[in-house]
Amino acid sequence: MTFLTGGTGFLGSHIGAELLLKGEETFFLIRGNRKVSAARLEKILDWHGIDRALRAKAHLIEGELENPGLGMNPETLLRIDRIIHCASDTSFSERNRKRVWTTNVESLKAIMDFAVESRCGSFIDLSTAYVAGRRGGLCPEEPIESEGFFNVYEESKAAAEHMLLERCQDEGLRLTILRPSIVYGDSYTGRTFRFNALYYPVKTTLFLRKIFEEDIRERGGEKASEVGVAIEPDGTTRLPLRIEVCKNSGVNLIPIDFFVDAFFAVIENSSDGGIYHIVNPRQTKIEDIIDYTKNQFKLKGIWACGQEEFQRIPRNSLEQLFKRYLEAYSPYIKDTRIFLTEKTNPILERSGIVCPEFDESMFRRCMSYAVENEWLSLSI
Amino acid sequence: MSNDPLETASQCRHYAMCKIDYLETGLCPSGPEKHYVAYYPQGRMDIYAALKRNLIPLTEGLIDIADTCTLCRICDKQCHFATGLRPLSVMKALKAEVEALKESGHSIHQPPQDEVLEELRQIVGPACATNDPAILITYANDPFPLKEMQMPRFVVLPASTAEVSFIVKLARRKGVPTVVRGNGGSVYGMVFTDGIVIDTTRMKDIRIDADNWTATVGAGVTSFDLQREASRLGFRVNAAEPAATVCGNIICTGLFSTWSASYGTFSDNFIDMEFVDDEGRVTHLSDPASPNLYAYQHRVMTPPAICTRAIVPLYPISNDEESLLVPFTNFEDAVRLARELNIRRIGLSIAVLGPHYIATFLSPTLELSQRLKQNLGNVFGIEYAVFVIADSYGRDAVKKMAGSVIDGPLLRKLMLGLPRFLGKDWIDLVRTYEGDHPPYEILCDPAAAPFIEAALQPTPVTAAEAVEEDLRQFYTSLYHKPQYTDGVWLSMHRIVSCRMGRHKHIFAFLVYLPADDIEMFNTLNETFGCTAKELGIDHDFGFITPMDMGKRAVYEYDYYLDQTSAKDKRKAAAVMERIVPWLDDLALTRKGFTWIKTFFSQGCVRKEGFFYEGFSKRTKD
Repeated sequence: MTFLTGGTGFLGSHIGAELLLKGEETFFLIRGNRKVSAARLEKILDWHGIDRALRAKAHLIEGELENPGLGMNPETLLRIDRIIHCASDTSFSERNRKRVWTTNVESLKAIMDFAVESRCGSFIDLSTAYVAGRRGGLCPEEPIESEGFFNVYEESKAAAEHMLLERCQDEGLRLTILRPSIVYGDSYTGRTFRFNALYYPVKTTLFLRKIFEEDIRERGGEKASEVGVAIEPDGTTRLPLRIEVCKNSGVNLIPIDFFVDAFFAVIENSSDGGIYHIVNPRQTKIEDIIDYTKNQFKLKGIWACGQEEFQRIPRNSLEQLFKRYLEAYSPYIKDTRIFLTEKTNPILERSGIVCPEFDESMFRRCMSYAVENEWLSLSI
Repeated sequence: MSNDPLETASQCRHYAMCKIDYLETGLCPSGPEKHYVAYYPQGRMDIYAALKRNLIPLTEGLIDIADTCTLCRICDKQCHFATGLRPLSVMKALKAEVEALKESGHSIHQPPQDEVLEELRQIVGPACATNDPAILITYANDPFPLKEMQMPRFVVLPASTAEVSFIVKLARRKGVPTVVRGNGGSVYGMVFTDGIVIDTTRMKDIRIDADNWTATVGAGVTSFDLQREASRLGFRVNAAEPAATVCGNIICTGLFSTWSASYGTFSDNFIDMEFVDDEGRVTHLSDPASPNLYAYQHRVMTPPAICTRAIVPLYPISNDEESLLVPFTNFEDAVRLARELNIRRIGLSIAVLGPHYIATFLSPTLELSQRLKQNLGNVFGIEYAVFVIADSYGRDAVKKMAGSVIDGPLLRKLMLGLPRFLGKDWIDLVRTYEGDHPPYEILCDPAAAPFIEAALQPTPVTAAEAVEEDLRQFYTSLYHKPQYTDGVWLSMHRIVSCRMGRHKHIFAFLVYLPADDIEMFNTLNETFGCTAKELGIDHDFGFITPMDMGKRAVYEYDYYLDQTSAKDKRKAAAVMERIVPWLDDLALTRKGFTWIKTFFSQGCVRKEGFFYEGFSKRTKD
């Protein structure tokens, strides 16, 4: 029997759905009163296509992480074999620091108390590869030695890992920490219900394109011409956007189906627990993503460049706006971190799990899905 | 909003916005000719509701009121702008109802012959005093939830101070009580009588003495009319609610506004006042022998006498004034900036506003304002804002002090592009913005200007997309006039503040308190908010304006009640039971704290009398 937190989030719900598909009795801890929590659980299970028979194994625990005992009766509590902790606030923004810290760090004490009380023996924590923070180069599957962080999310997840390592050791609980990189939609279908991270810059670019194309087509393009946007004779749209990248930088992207397979392979094959990176062995260059975007959406004028280019020609207003909009993603656009997978790799190899390449066809699949679904995130 | 005539009629807010030509549509033609409220859309709404409830008989007055409505549609435009109501359906229904009564052979009720009425008519002329129930009913109620209907015996329309004096003497001689209504209006449930209602609406003389920097106004002159006239000659006055009279505003609430940051309040607002006392004598405040109305008394007071004229100061206008909105993610920082500006004498008009005010001011419809209110904080991070009107030097200073600001041109773009500003794509994109700074900073970034213009398409046509199709042409032409998107003009004429009662009648609590007492501001917000939540009442923070060099401030918190709901009336009573003792206690125990219960009707006092301790004796009743 598994106790799952964060079961309505993107990664957590995929894990929850997989647990049910595997026939595992699963307790979903979901915020809000019973009516609201139940509706949220139904909605997410609908999205995952979990049928009625399988739903019989899904049990709702409504409440907050901070509540002692999390509202479970002691008898049921003792039937829990493992806790999978996916609940997390993924905001990068400093303005949300208090909220992020409360969810990601402060609530851990209650969940750990609960784990100890349940005598479950195994605690699985969904962390992030980016706990590595500002550390450049090789990042091992080991506890963090902090060199600072790019945002509150990274910082809070690193702090959570420290807390967990200490407490689990004290309590004799087996701890498995999984650190995925950036997760996108399904590799076969592009299906997802969250359009942040990889999707956000593309979505922003397309929004800019739409606005200025309308200006050109419907109102003579005065505003578009102010920022140098034009529709070319071949029908493509020129968006004069230079995007700052670092030499040898790239972004680490994994599809959700690979993440789920890897997650279960690791937790089922790591009898002693430990820390595992679930990442793509190949970084995707920002230049490639820019090319994919230009090809798929008939755009021109966007290109990647180094910082020195902006010293030569300062940013135009469109670039200033774009930079400001995407400032939170900047560390990931200019990322030079390499995540080592010495522990994960043997498990994945044994299980025959390979991370699909993020090539142009994959990009096209994901973005087509996003466009078809109007970038509508599932509201839960 | 409902299309049912009776429902529409019952929702009339009585804000009298149909009595001022604030949209340049002209007025309902019969109103300025006949003067009684009954001949304006507001009156006809009351009359229709009363007729449907069998409260008034068919009278010659009623027939005339119905016949003189030309169905010109002006009321639909005016009322929609202010409250979202569409009175035209009521006007049509009233005419049809009266026609049906006539056709059915219904007898015409003749109001009784009355000696007092005859004497009143001798004073003001036969057309300006009446006891026709159709006219009386329009002076018998208002939306204040705790006041029941009370029919007066007569309504009289004096045209001069002398006529007011004669009326008062007559009433005294005959033992008939009187109340006075400036411009015929009432919203606080206080000007009711079973005697004579003196409606000063005909006393509309305005004399501007430019060399002397003064305007002399009759008791029927509205704030809007005076501001418009002063403005035409290059001046400004400190005016309050646009359809309320200048004299009435001064007497009742001391005339406070966001401009009180520089122009002051209470006795700062007039140079002299003329009164008719309860014996019919004419007095002037400047006369050393007149009663001392400058001294504040800490108790519930009634108006000292009938104000028939006020001489008010005129202020200069510099040609580079513009409005600024400084967004904030929290209340305390907004209050601190507002106070700091007042200490430094920066800005003429200053107010801390919450999302409800901002959204209501900017939105031509209720639906749009509710969406904007929801998104201002959640999506754009604008939890509060400081609204400032300043010259170019002042604005430069504000920008240096505050950083990101929504300046006048941007505010205009937001107003004109509002339907698109709240479009799905735009909201969704900003909602998922992950930067460290509040999202509104992007909005305020000059680099975003071409994008915002392209995205919002801020034109009168875009703004008019928000309203019903048959009103779009009107709103398009309205928004083509620059003043309707100019923060300075809108603020000094106060024509969007009437929208505060758009979704329900507004029930405002007003408090003066020390401007540096952030803790007390928070306590007020929490207590008003919690009380409203417990009682199930719509509520919101109103505004704060610092004054007296940042030492004191006026604070408003608003409750919203459905004036037609018996349940809401009970809630209003419960509110009073809880709030009144609490505020009374604060007024006795906190230095510089006073609330509307005691300053109401003492508008001539020197503000120092209650701003500072030791100038009025404060004891429990």
